[in-house]
Amino acid sequence: MSTQIDDGGAIAPRWRPWSRTGFAFASFGVALMVAILVSLCVGRYSVSAMTALHILGEAIVHPGQAIESMDQRIVLLVRAPRVVIAAMAGAALATAGVALQGVFRNPLVSPEVLGISQGAAFGGALAITMGIWGVPLLGIVFIGGFSALIAVGMLARINGQTEILTVILSGMVVGSLFSACVSLLQFIADPNSSLPAIVYWLMGSFATATWDRVLVSAPGLLLGIALLWALRFRLNVLSLDDSEARSLGARPDQERWLVFVLVALIVGCQVAVSGIVGWVGLVIPHAARLIVGHDHRRLLPATALLGATFMVGVDTLARTLTAAEIPLGVLTAIIGAPAFALLLRRHFKDREAT
Amino acid sequence: MSDRIRSGNRWLLGAGLALAFAGAAAAEEIVITDHENREIHLDAPASRIVTIPMPLASGVIALSGGTDRLVGLNPLSLTAIREGILGKIFPDAVNISDAVTGTDFVPNVEALAAVNPDLVVQWAGRGPEIVDPIVNAGLNALLIKYGTEELTRQYMTMVATAIGKPERIAELVDWSDVVQHDIEAKVASIPQDERPNVLYLGRSLSDITAAGDTGSYSSWYIALTGGRNAAAELDGTSSINREQIAQWDPEVILLNSFEPNLDVNWVYDDPILSLTKAAQQHRVYKMPLGGYRWDPPSQESPLTWMWLAELLHPELFDYDLRAEMTKAYKTLYNYQLTEADIDGIIWTAQQGDSLGYDQFAAQ
Repeated sequence: MSTQIDDGGAIAPRWRPWSRTGFAFASFGVALMVAILVSLCVGRYSVSAMTALHILGEAIVHPGQAIESMDQRIVLLVRAPRVVIAAMAGAALATAGVALQGVFRNPLVSPEVLGISQGAAFGGALAITMGIWGVPLLGIVFIGGFSALIAVGMLARINGQTEILTVILSGMVVGSLFSACVSLLQFIADPNSSLPAIVYWLMGSFATATWDRVLVSAPGLLLGIALLWALRFRLNVLSLDDSEARSLGARPDQERWLVFVLVALIVGCQVAVSGIVGWVGLVIPHAARLIVGHDHRRLLPATALLGATFMVGVDTLARTLTAAEIPLGVLTAIIGAPAFALLLRRHFKDREAT
Repeated sequence: MSDRIRSGNRWLLGAGLALAFAGAAAAEEIVITDHENREIHLDAPASRIVTIPMPLASGVIALSGGTDRLVGLNPLSLTAIREGILGKIFPDAVNISDAVTGTDFVPNVEALAAVNPDLVVQWAGRGPEIVDPIVNAGLNALLIKYGTEELTRQYMTMVATAIGKPERIAELVDWSDVVQHDIEAKVASIPQDERPNVLYLGRSLSDITAAGDTGSYSSWYIALTGGRNAAAELDGTSSINREQIAQWDPEVILLNSFEPNLDVNWVYDDPILSLTKAAQQHRVYKMPLGGYRWDPPSQESPLTWMWLAELLHPELFDYDLRAEMTKAYKTLYNYQLTEADIDGIIWTAQQGDSLGYDQFAAQ
């Protein structure tokens, strides 16, 4: 089916010269590598950059070696898993944002709009209230996010059809309901044990990253990214009018839901290990669109790389700027909101100019 | 009766904390000035008290010598009573109403009215939302500020005055003064570089928090007992990460007594924290839980100081903690502690192997 739209001439708004795109991707790749290396070398505990790189090199050359000294443990057990989770979460959240914005044909959509984040948050809060952690927590978080999605789907489906507007409205309804349930859980939670755990977890942080958590979240996040990448042609079609998309052989209704399920998978896995992190899915796709254009074949990987870089960078700031951990949500909003405002202004100015 | 009130007044006037006019005409009236400079007038000593701030429930029990006058408390105070020794000393205490307030200190006016209190103690400086409902219901609200030893003595004095037992607080303040001055005198000679770096973690299991010097009672008693606050650079209470703890590399780690599932193994099992000096030297201790939790200020705080002083500088101090505890509990709660009670309070089973804990062992 994809062969029909393979050359994409009618779908992609405009081909930008490959050389420019190539240069952009090369810069994204380099930026991500730099962000990861810098992040591994800095922190509140003083390990010199050379030592950190040496430790990292040793660990790559001789994997499985015993991790003895404090320097090694800080780099390999504290920083490395944190950087890996941040990179994966950033890439996945940004990719999910692009996909949703594509299928909704609306640049202001993010996972919160579908109620998925709130559902996932409710699942997590419920698990913490019941004293459940680790992989089972991830399961419950995912079930929470997914049931929010199913509720939205059932609400929005009228006469066998789902209008985009009804999906967004249903998402708001379901999201509010789950938010209220989270508040209820906070209200009844034990203030000495589960309440601070829920509040902290909802605030979003990579501070508790371990290799176990990497293993728990990686499959879902990477699968989500990979499948959305596989759907890149579909996303191009879905960003057209439903009638146009149908004429190109797509089934917009079903395919939209496939995208939603993948987004639920990504958000569930991310929320389970690092709480709710906002703004990434909104700001990064816009930035990427400005650089590589609207074609999802380029937009998806560009967004993933930028999202990973952004998240690693922000998390590095969160854990190094002061002795206290700065809440991640605060930083993403402080950096994200003004950046978003600038992008929006530029976007509309450009539109007026053309 | 009037004698007792007059002697109390002399003490209060001297301390400059509260005024009670025992005029010839209204010999019984008690006037207290609280931490928001409001005057509370009581015709007679309060006999039905509700305490919304957590540490004060056990404070009222200690000041009045029993649970009779406490008719309502914070659910978290009740948790502490259940988990700690007070539930055993005063089995009836678990029946006191905890419906009078949420854990967020918002009073439930209907439940408050139902227990018909003549005095409701509430936090000062946290906005009118938590105070107005009490006042609007026509009840007496006594507002208190939290944080320092001085404030604690002030509000304990207010409560003691309100219940007509100023001699109880005088006794407590005397004891606190003696212990405090004794410890201060002994640690004065310790040079700065011989004072161990002590890290008190207010939270551990989900989020890790520590506090800087301002407004932290823990940092005050760490300094009092000859330690240095390892987290001094923080501003107020903040979340911190393990890497920061590794950087501070504290010589002693104190864990909070609030989280029921937390014990010293949390440090020893952690790949990073287990490499700190504190863990290497087995100087990790969970704060005891007695009549109240030993981390925040309370009537038992002098015991906290002795316990910590012995752990930080065993060569300087020779308090017999078990004897001191026995004596204090007899005075505070009229209860004879058993050896098993003491071991339960100071967590001997969980941390008896820690460095310096042998001095607290039963003979």
